[in-house]
Amino acid sequence: MRALYTFFSSIKLTVLLLAAAVVLVFFGTLDQVHYGIFHTQKLYFEHVFVTWSYPQQAPFAERLGWLEVPFPGGYFIGPLLVLNLFFAHFRYYRVGYKKIGIVFIHAGLVLLLLGQLWTQVSQREYFLWLAEGERKGYVESFHHDELVVVDRTDPDHFRVYSWPVSAFSRREAVLSHDSLPFRLRVVGFAKNAAIFPMAEGPPGTPNLRITEGVGAERELTFIQIAPTFREGERNITTALVDVVTPRGPRGRFLLSNVFRQGEPMREYFPPQMFEYEGRTYELALRFSRRYLDADIELVEFRHDRYPGTEIPFNFSSDVRIIESPDMPPRHALIFMNNPLRYSGLTFYQASFADNDTKSMFQVVSNPARWIPYVASGVISGGLLLQFIISFFEAGRKRREARLQQGGAI
Amino acid sequence: MSQTDLMKDASPKVRRILFGVLTLIVGLILVRQLTPPRYNTELDLAAFGRLPAQEGGRIKPIDSIARANLLLIANRSSVVDGGDRLSALEWFTELVLAPGAAVDRRIFRVDHPQVAGILGVDNEERNYVSLREILPHFDTLQAQWTGVPEEPQLRNPYQRALVKLADSVGLYDSLAYTFVPPPVFGRDDVNFSILRRALADRATKEPGTEEYRTVTNAINLFATQYARLARTLTLQSVPPEVAPETGFPEWRNLGVSLLEATETGVIDPVVEKYALLSEAFANRDAATFNRIVAELKPILHERGGVNAGRVQFEHFFNTVDPFTAAEVLYVLVFLVAAASWLVYPRTLATAAFWITLVAFLIHTFGLLARMYIQGRPPVTNLYSSAIFVGWGAVLLCLVLERIFRNGIAAAAAAPVGFCTLIIAYHLSYSGDTLEMMQAVLDSNFWLATHVPTVTIGYSAVFLAGSLAIVYIVRDRIFGGIPKDQGKAISGMVYGILCFALFFSFVGTVLGGIWADQSWGRFWGWDPKENGALMIVLWVALILHARWAKLATPTGIMQLTIFGNIITAWSWFGTNMLGVGLHSYGFMDEAFVWLMVFVISQLGFIALGWVPPVRFIRRGTASGGVQ
Repeated sequence: MRALYTFFSSIKLTVLLLAAAVVLVFFGTLDQVHYGIFHTQKLYFEHVFVTWSYPQQAPFAERLGWLEVPFPGGYFIGPLLVLNLFFAHFRYYRVGYKKIGIVFIHAGLVLLLLGQLWTQVSQREYFLWLAEGERKGYVESFHHDELVVVDRTDPDHFRVYSWPVSAFSRREAVLSHDSLPFRLRVVGFAKNAAIFPMAEGPPGTPNLRITEGVGAERELTFIQIAPTFREGERNITTALVDVVTPRGPRGRFLLSNVFRQGEPMREYFPPQMFEYEGRTYELALRFSRRYLDADIELVEFRHDRYPGTEIPFNFSSDVRIIESPDMPPRHALIFMNNPLRYSGLTFYQASFADNDTKSMFQVVSNPARWIPYVASGVISGGLLLQFIISFFEAGRKRREARLQQGGAI
Repeated sequence: MSQTDLMKDASPKVRRILFGVLTLIVGLILVRQLTPPRYNTELDLAAFGRLPAQEGGRIKPIDSIARANLLLIANRSSVVDGGDRLSALEWFTELVLAPGAAVDRRIFRVDHPQVAGILGVDNEERNYVSLREILPHFDTLQAQWTGVPEEPQLRNPYQRALVKLADSVGLYDSLAYTFVPPPVFGRDDVNFSILRRALADRATKEPGTEEYRTVTNAINLFATQYARLARTLTLQSVPPEVAPETGFPEWRNLGVSLLEATETGVIDPVVEKYALLSEAFANRDAATFNRIVAELKPILHERGGVNAGRVQFEHFFNTVDPFTAAEVLYVLVFLVAAASWLVYPRTLATAAFWITLVAFLIHTFGLLARMYIQGRPPVTNLYSSAIFVGWGAVLLCLVLERIFRNGIAAAAAAPVGFCTLIIAYHLSYSGDTLEMMQAVLDSNFWLATHVPTVTIGYSAVFLAGSLAIVYIVRDRIFGGIPKDQGKAISGMVYGILCFALFFSFVGTVLGGIWADQSWGRFWGWDPKENGALMIVLWVALILHARWAKLATPTGIMQLTIFGNIITAWSWFGTNMLGVGLHSYGFMDEAFVWLMVFVISQLGFIALGWVPPVRFIRRGTASGGVQ
């Protein structure tokens, strides 16, 4: 017990952990070249252990390609640092003003680390593409997909049933809901897929016996391919789904997010629909949506450049927020360094397309947003306080030393 | 005189002589550096250089355009041609006013032997060629260019050299006809007499007649040529008819203006004046040249929406070139401070302090001048960050020197100041260093808080690292460091690291707040953010190691030198990855230098493990540890 306490409270451990953190951050930066920021973040900072492999594109890859270096990840270093801080405080702290700044620094640090953990767990990123004049009541996820059944019987009021991909990505699953008169059996899944007509495949291409929708019309099949992690690229997530009613199978559909989304907001295929017991249902696999309390409409997008150059000095989107038909809409101007904050979401200007007529917003929700502000305030204050104290202490010591020297001579 | 005597300090007489000599040297450096250039001609080139034009969205004096483009094309700040030495402005004036004469100037740099081979020059002998020397081989070069891959990363050194040459020739071509159009119908039409007659004829001839058709055809030939010019020219020399009340004045290039003239029948008076100027230049007619320049100035200022004060000042700033002056002085500071470890410690340390102060003031002037010209906080791009890192390190050194008065901080800061200014100079090869800001960076508030704070953090880590190098080098090579000085350096390193931790941390946090305000996320693991985080972590590591006495004084110094590597990575390395929001340009030449820097720092660290060698015997009077 005593040994454990000594170990967890030692500054040697602090130094080791800081060194490990430097190594982690360095390799976590290098690998972004290959995996993009998002995946690298997951891989390095949200894991207990990380294995870094020598990049195949780097010089000497032929000879060093086998090289793999394991080291502690973010979820290893972070908790240990918190423990270390906690125990070291009890071991070393003596009451008095001389070390008071350190207490602040360390308390702020613990808060910052916890806040980062909370952010990693709870932060969600979405996007919203709008053409001028278009309005939408939802934002879409950058990374996640969902399987949905949309009851379109009432044209004014769709009912949406949705399941995240994680509900069936690992194993075959049966999806059902009390209000739905049928169940969905997911019989095939690919995180990333190549979809092509069966006739174009090599001999032996599997026949998936798709009976409904675009898959049946065009006699499509798919194979799994390696998922991509590149920045700005998206996996073609695909599923093979049987609709099973109490009276027996209703048909087999091929669903893929690529059917519902292509280039900015352009949908390539019509929705895949079927009728059952007098009701009309749509079946789709699409980017996960988060519905908003209001519709957002893009009034105008502007892209201004400095005269005679292609250097932009302004991207801005004039949007209208329509909360309900009875209330007059609100206007907001979103531009660089000036996002729109609305119902816990931050919309910022991220991209544009089609001759400056379409605008893309990145949309972020982060309930832990305020923590870094508080934590870094506390730390900065602590640092300042501690250094001021140390500075005056050092000055005092120097003066004393000089006096002593003077006395000796 | 024995060494012991030398270490005692200078007698008042020697002291006076030393101070006198050093003052003289500093004075000479200042006079040499700060006097404006004299052009060897009757033509008032300086006045021409002060005329404004628009390039990259910014209105600037022609002198600035000349300097930036010569650096881009030739990678040097003057043209050496046989015995002649032309300043950037002299070269540019000739290029734009007498393009025919400029084709013989050797300004294209050819380093790669294969490229030199194509051009039939021996680049062992000289590595600059003229456009006339390139032209006969143009087809061969063109054939080679077609094989160059689109992606810069995939090009080999030969292909990179080809692209570099192609870019330089393209830039040259886009500049040459900025003020005066190329000859039409095989002959010079400098005062637009042919065009003017055609335009007049068109106005008087009856539409539908044979004559009218002939005239319109001729004008169309002009228009075709002007349309090509309008596409290729990158510099706008013609101001708008009237300056706008608000927003950016939109200048036009010569092609656009002349294309308009073929429609309206009226040639812009500015264009006409430049044509006359070119004629006067070709005839070496100084009186006419100077008169037209004087006439152009008020027209350009009024119509172009020019802030006359700023343009004039920018020209002054260019000619004074404060950063080069500071650079030279930093070398002197280092020599004097290093000498103080061997002879006359007090006198020379004092001298080093005062020279540092002079250099710092000049450096500060340069920094403030750039802020005034650009109307921006000090750090807006990589170039200005280099200027600022050096400035911050020297500022900290002055504080240390006030406290310790031993010349150590000056010796450590001078190399930082010198190297960062050299880095800045090389970064200026990539064009205008006062470029306009991208939309995302267009926020003076954050540019004024986050960026300087982080950058001063870099300054501090580099200064600490440099102090640590001074410690290890003196300890291992100069036969042991005096105990009191060793302690002093330890104290300085400690103080500067605390400072570095504070500024790096606060700067990083401010960056996080900017990111949160702008993009809704505080931390995104972007390479530049990670780089800043690594600095914070590393400095924290050193401080903890020191507090817990986990390393010897030499060990702490070695860790501190490693901080240099981490900071260099954060500053430059992260930009080379080409990922994330902060990636402003991949620089493969810079990568080589980064590696050289890393290896040199590792060398200094390794030196800490080598047993002391005595290349230079130190006096014993100051009682050092042996």
